[in-house]
Amino acid sequence: MSSFDDLLRHPGLWRAREQAFAAAESSARPTGYAALDRCLPGGGWPRQGLIEILTDRCGIGELSLLMPALAAFCCDAEDGSGNSGGWLTWVSPPYQPYAPALVAAGIDVRRVLVVRAAPPAEWAMEQALRSEACSVVLGWATSRDRQGLRRLQLASEQSRCMAVLFRNLADGDEPSPAVLRIALAAGPGGLEVRILKSRGGRPATVRLGWLDAAAQAAAH
Amino acid sequence: MSPPRRHRATPGAFPSPAIARDRPRLRPAPPTGRGPGEPAGAVATGSELWLAIHLPHYVLESLRLRAASESTAGHVPGAATVVVDVEDGGKVVCACDGEAAEAGIVRGMALNSALALLPGLSVLAREIPRERALLEVVATCAGDFTPRVALESPDGVLLEVRGSLELFGGVRGLVARVRERLQSAGVEPQIAIAPTPLASLWFARAGQEVALRRADQLAGRLAPLPLAVTRWPERSLQLLVTMGVRNLGDCQRLPRDGFARRFEPRLLAMLDRAAGRRPDPRAAFRAGERFATRRDLEPELADTQRLETAIGPLLEELCVFLRQRGRGVQVLELRFLHRMAPVTRLRLRFVEPVGEARRIAVMLHERLAHVVLPEPVRTVRLASGSLVELRAAPTELFVTDRRGSGAAVPQLVERLRARLGVEAVYGLYLVAEHRPESAWRVAEPAGDILLFPVPLPTRAGEARSGKKRMSPVLEKENVPVPRPLWLLAEPRPLAGSDQPRYEGALEFEEGPECIESGWWDGKDIARDYYIARNAAGVRLWVFRERRRRGDAGGRTCSWFLHGVFG
Repeated sequence: MSSFDDLLRHPGLWRAREQAFAAAESSARPTGYAALDRCLPGGGWPRQGLIEILTDRCGIGELSLLMPALAAFCCDAEDGSGNSGGWLTWVSPPYQPYAPALVAAGIDVRRVLVVRAAPPAEWAMEQALRSEACSVVLGWATSRDRQGLRRLQLASEQSRCMAVLFRNLADGDEPSPAVLRIALAAGPGGLEVRILKSRGGRPATVRLGWLDAAAQAAAH
Repeated sequence: MSPPRRHRATPGAFPSPAIARDRPRLRPAPPTGRGPGEPAGAVATGSELWLAIHLPHYVLESLRLRAASESTAGHVPGAATVVVDVEDGGKVVCACDGEAAEAGIVRGMALNSALALLPGLSVLAREIPRERALLEVVATCAGDFTPRVALESPDGVLLEVRGSLELFGGVRGLVARVRERLQSAGVEPQIAIAPTPLASLWFARAGQEVALRRADQLAGRLAPLPLAVTRWPERSLQLLVTMGVRNLGDCQRLPRDGFARRFEPRLLAMLDRAAGRRPDPRAAFRAGERFATRRDLEPELADTQRLETAIGPLLEELCVFLRQRGRGVQVLELRFLHRMAPVTRLRLRFVEPVGEARRIAVMLHERLAHVVLPEPVRTVRLASGSLVELRAAPTELFVTDRRGSGAAVPQLVERLRARLGVEAVYGLYLVAEHRPESAWRVAEPAGDILLFPVPLPTRAGEARSGKKRMSPVLEKENVPVPRPLWLLAEPRPLAGSDQPRYEGALEFEEGPECIESGWWDGKDIARDYYIARNAAGVRLWVFRERRRRGDAGGRTCSWFLHGVFG
């Protein structure tokens, strides 16, 4: 038995499993906004770990900010080359995600799952993350449960699944285990993105124009 | 003297005058006319041999099957029995046992007349599901003799027995064994064997317990059977009788084309199938196997957590049962029996067939958490729904991530639904509709949805159709019309009549886009949609009603919020 273990340690041998994941982890996912990519470590959204997006109100562009990356996930699935063609799960969204707009933004609605979870939404999010079914899980936080956040962060790391939690701007003062925390606010002439916390990066402020998901998709 | 003229006996040519004389002529037989029973290109029937079981007393027997196990109201053991059915509002005898028949009771008699003949009559109501169950019992018994069993509702079962003859001691031995088996199950069968399923069934119905092994004897032996065995429509049978056709032999002598024209083509096909000139494939009967088990709890359990532990072994047992058959279940039912309170039922439904104990246990855990037990549980019963084919999980050498295959989605959906309810978890579906609220629909997630390519409304398309007007500022063609990522379930009225307000005054960015549609289903709309941004930077999709039915036009326009661009 020990000789077999020795064999596995041989530098000339590699295991297919490790190779596949090594490739997937190599880089971050571009956000689709060059100005934002420059401020994020690896040049995009982290591949795994919890991302928190803090806004004071719903609708100022927090979804449009994500749309290019989400559309890229769907493109991967269509290529058949990548192995990240999982589902896109929305847990307790504030309004109904509107299918025609999602299609226009380049998202495959056949792989969209909407969950109207009774609070707390964290349970459903964790189930989705751990299910090995999803590539991206979007959730709208209803509680300020630190334990729940830690579980989400852990589940996201382990499942190599992108987890985005939308929270209220007022929760920004609290410590969080998230890999990336972003606060969005309306500035003069466009959206102001403040990076509050970024593992391997540093806080920064980026000004983007007003975002339009459909126009972004058309431009690509 | 010249020798007597001989008729040329060419197959398919003129039939001999001897036959033609007594044949009821539908019309002068054409030169190519053949009787329905004459050879028309033999189809090889293979070497099949069919054993037909006909149950002449199935109505009565189906009810006796139950009467043996539980007492039935209205049934007095030992008394003459009739089964009644409701026809035209009155109760009519549809089956009776020998004793009742001796007293003069016949089928179709009104119940009152029957009671007048035999006052001590025991009366049972007909139950169609029981009859079907009886047939399945018979078919399951038949499964002991051959793997190929087919049902012939309501009272027949067909067995392909060519391969079984040797094993069960020839035709005679086999028939004796089948009869013995069925009699022990409480039914009295009529059994016949013939090379085609239909022929064997007709012999069995006629009560002729023949055992024909050769196809060339078939036509001759079928000839004397009465037409009633075919169960053709009453109208056709009467028409045949008026034509002087009394048995199958007469029928076979009729010209084929005339027969096909006068009666349904189905009838001709049946004659061909019976004679083996046409293949007669039969759908195989699959025994409706189910799993059922119980466990008495000692001591009685009152809390669901310990109950879950107690159910564990039952699930293991179920999964062993499923594994042995390579099948899965989609529905499971648990019943908790209490001392006094009515039974508590728990039904587990799975999105796809399952066969692993772990997965069932997860679902059970979620569901048990919501169960309120009125009393401690004495006994647990676990029963499966019908068994279904298990879909094999795809495995690949290099796939380390199951996401691409979507194999894990049903499990996720199931788990979420177990806790949140069925409606709380859904997928999206695009509908080709101009009305924004009708352009999407809730869909079953992971159900193999066929997504038709739905063209999204583009600016170019609108300009052509002329149905909608766009502001001249945005004239980029082939760009989809902007739609908000969020849609409100119901349009929300906005304050402000001329200048709408939502968390501050709105500033229009685009519009109007006029959507006017839906006159056909009563939910017609006529709206001018605008894209606006409020002071806080939220981009909104608002509309103004253009008109309302019955409005004179003098009413002030009202503004609504319908979507948020997000």
